[in-house]
Amino acid sequence: MSNIYQWINERLELDDAIKFAKKKRVPVFYGTVWYYLGGVSLFLFAIQLVTGILLVLYYQPGAETAFESVKFIVSKVEFGWLIREIHSWSANLFILFVFFHMFTVFFAKAYRKPREMTWITGMLLLVLGLAFGFSGYLLPWNELAYFATKVGSDIAGAIPWVGEFMLRVLRAGDEVTGATLTRFYGIHIAILPGIFTILLVMHLMMVQFQGMSVPPEIEKIPEKDRKTIPFFPDFVLRDFMIWLIVLNVIALLAVFFPWELGQKADALAPAPAGIRPEWYFMFMFQTLKMIPAHVLFLEGELVGVMFFAIGGLIWFFVPFLDKKAHVGIRSRFWTWFGIFLVVYIIVLTIWGYLV
Amino acid sequence: MMRFYVIILFMLMTILSAEDSCISCHTELDEERDDGDKIVVGYMTGIHAKKDVGCADCHGGDPEAFDDEDEAMWDVDDFLADMEKQDQLDMCGKCHSDPQYMRMFSASIKTDQVSQYLTSDHGKSLVKGNQKVAVCSDCHSNHGILPVKDPRSKVYALNVPVTCARCHADGQYMKDSGLPTDQLIQFKNSVHGEALLEREDISAPACNDCHGNHGAAPPDVVHVKDICGTCHVNNRDLFQKSHLFSVLSKEGFGQCEACHENHAVLKPNDSFLDWSENSVCIKCHLDGGSAKLMADHFYTIIDSLKQNLQLAHSIVDSAENKGMIVSDLFFDLEEARKVLIHTRTNIHSFNITYVDTNAAPGFKASQAAILGAKASLNELSFRRKGLFYFSLIITFLVVVLGIKIKRFKK
Amino acid sequence: MTKQSRRTFLDWLLRGGLTAWFASIIYPVFKYMIPPDAPELNISQIEAGTLSDFPKGSSKIIRMGRTPVIVLRKKKGDFKALEATCTHLDCTVQFKTDTEQIWCACHNGFYDVEGRNISGPPPRPLGQFNVTLKDDKVIITKKDLA
Repeated sequence: MSNIYQWINERLELDDAIKFAKKKRVPVFYGTVWYYLGGVSLFLFAIQLVTGILLVLYYQPGAETAFESVKFIVSKVEFGWLIREIHSWSANLFILFVFFHMFTVFFAKAYRKPREMTWITGMLLLVLGLAFGFSGYLLPWNELAYFATKVGSDIAGAIPWVGEFMLRVLRAGDEVTGATLTRFYGIHIAILPGIFTILLVMHLMMVQFQGMSVPPEIEKIPEKDRKTIPFFPDFVLRDFMIWLIVLNVIALLAVFFPWELGQKADALAPAPAGIRPEWYFMFMFQTLKMIPAHVLFLEGELVGVMFFAIGGLIWFFVPFLDKKAHVGIRSRFWTWFGIFLVVYIIVLTIWGYLV
Repeated sequence: MMRFYVIILFMLMTILSAEDSCISCHTELDEERDDGDKIVVGYMTGIHAKKDVGCADCHGGDPEAFDDEDEAMWDVDDFLADMEKQDQLDMCGKCHSDPQYMRMFSASIKTDQVSQYLTSDHGKSLVKGNQKVAVCSDCHSNHGILPVKDPRSKVYALNVPVTCARCHADGQYMKDSGLPTDQLIQFKNSVHGEALLEREDISAPACNDCHGNHGAAPPDVVHVKDICGTCHVNNRDLFQKSHLFSVLSKEGFGQCEACHENHAVLKPNDSFLDWSENSVCIKCHLDGGSAKLMADHFYTIIDSLKQNLQLAHSIVDSAENKGMIVSDLFFDLEEARKVLIHTRTNIHSFNITYVDTNAAPGFKASQAAILGAKASLNELSFRRKGLFYFSLIITFLVVVLGIKIKRFKK
Repeated sequence: MTKQSRRTFLDWLLRGGLTAWFASIIYPVFKYMIPPDAPELNISQIEAGTLSDFPKGSSKIIRMGRTPVIVLRKKKGDFKALEATCTHLDCTVQFKTDTEQIWCACHNGFYDVEGRNISGPPPRPLGQFNVTLKDDKVIITKKDLA
């Protein structure tokens, strides 16, 4: 054992990495628990990677085969159901934890100098995560997914000037067809993972080099008075412990709350009742539904898309807009902005499910 | 739309009336007959106008005489109006019984309507001088005659029962015939009537499908099985070979209708076999005996096929509701359902061995579905057990890790 | 127990737990990788049998996904595949070799070998499938709508 370690160490300098990890310390205060959220998201992504690769072994994209191959996986392949359930459940939990992670970072003002780029890469990772969800939702090629994709891509078509072009690029044609499925599959398993991995490495490296951020009021305490624990092994072991618990929860959900496969998509069939996007798109979906068909001289859908585009851009560039945070002052405006956003998302999501 | 239609009609009439005095005068008169038949409007919507068969082609007269009524109608030798029923046969038959003439309109057109009519009960009575029986126009309308496939036609499948009932349900009108007048009411409640009139399924039989069209007559008692057998061919074949058939025929008790009624054919029900007030067997077999034994046996077979199928269905459903993929098992359920339906047909053999042998695959199919569903429920409990052990391992690890982390603190 | 031995005991427990955990993850993954015996659920194409299974003037009912399909071989030798569910009330049809017609026993409905409803209650023709011969295999495929 130690010989192998020695062999690798001489080539990759593992000692240095461990020394770095041991030297790195994690602040202990009321918000230490937030630090785990990013780690859990990372763990969920790793699960996605593994189960996703396993699913690729049997999945066949294409309008004729997609649904049948998923059915084959869940009914004929041993533990196929487990792999698929874990993939779907951890996908949903991933988005959930990424949202938690983002809002804790936001309210702790952790995006302030010098971590602006960590926020930006994180935001890009969120967008990619949502794209993962949107593209993956279609892959089983069932009725709900088919119509949700139709509606979802229609919204892209509402963007001025480039909308029609984007719609066609997204759908690989004018309609949602087998070609769309092939395209989504490519996006889901090749394009997104590639970009995601690069951004993720950047995001993690920045976290490692810059260390954990603490909220402004903790930062004011002199460094020697702050409580810390070593990153390795203390924090890493706790991380691992939480990951184990998360994995257990996923297994529980997979067994007791399986995702329905539903009916195979049929382009000629009438849209079924209760088409809805994945829950994390619900607040946007509900907003678009509430906007009247015409606002002044603009189309309702366009107004909605613009509203989210502007909102998203502001959120994206918060590190540059919130000037007070850089000098260690909590800006009331931005805190309220965040609270408003959280409330808005929660209320509209619930509303979307009630109607 | 309607207005457009009327305008077109009037335009047509003006064009035609320029050369046809019948249309120009009768349009002005705007006559309406007792039965609501408007002579010109009816004619214009009908098939004859479309095929360029003019008024004079049936009624005779001179359509070129515009000035004088007598010159156009009453003075012309071959003029026919307000005719006897008997004359109508000749009038329609003049063309419709002439194969050479009718071939102009369609190669496969039938020309035996009048000769068939004369064999019908309507025809026979008419020859005897009964003026109350139906002739051509009573079913096909006077002037607004439409092809049988036109849903507006009085002889379109969905409209036939009402067309026949215009006379046959009228007690006053039918008084002298001695015929019952409750056929329509009985038919409406029957399985056929429900399919035809409520579901508008034109593959279901209307009056003419059992009684014939132009040759309408009640089917002979000895031929009822063949009338019903037109569609219910398996039931007929099995019944025909059964001992019950020979007994019923010998005693003159009727055939299919002995159990199923004629116009009031009810949707068959398994309780027909149950030895209770619903039983159709009990109508004759008052004392039970071997008939009761057979009925009981059939009832048990059908009932247990049904029970097995229901049980299989509920287990498969419960497996499906628990998230298992059991779509393959629906084939077995379908098979079991088909055997159940066939068994209900097979009892018409009145042969216990035959029924039992053919019911066996149904039991097998239900059993296969039950086994399959149980296997997937077992798989489910395997999953839960697996989850339990997995959770145990993780809990153990978490506890050990927790102790380990505590030690680091120290 | 000394502090030292307690510590090694804890490490042993940890190692044991980790191994069990690792095994409980690897086992399903390993099982998953083994392809199942069941043939792949192929819905758009299915093998009805070999040429020898179909003497001239014979038929066979096969399942294609959820649809039963009747594959028949005419006396002339050519094949035809049609949906086997009667369009009247969903009974399964059969091939009558003597008249070369498709017959539904439930209400005496007849179709010709092309699947057109010719007499009796059926309101619509039967659905069509493609038959192709590959070596001596009879392959049934779904007919494209286009």
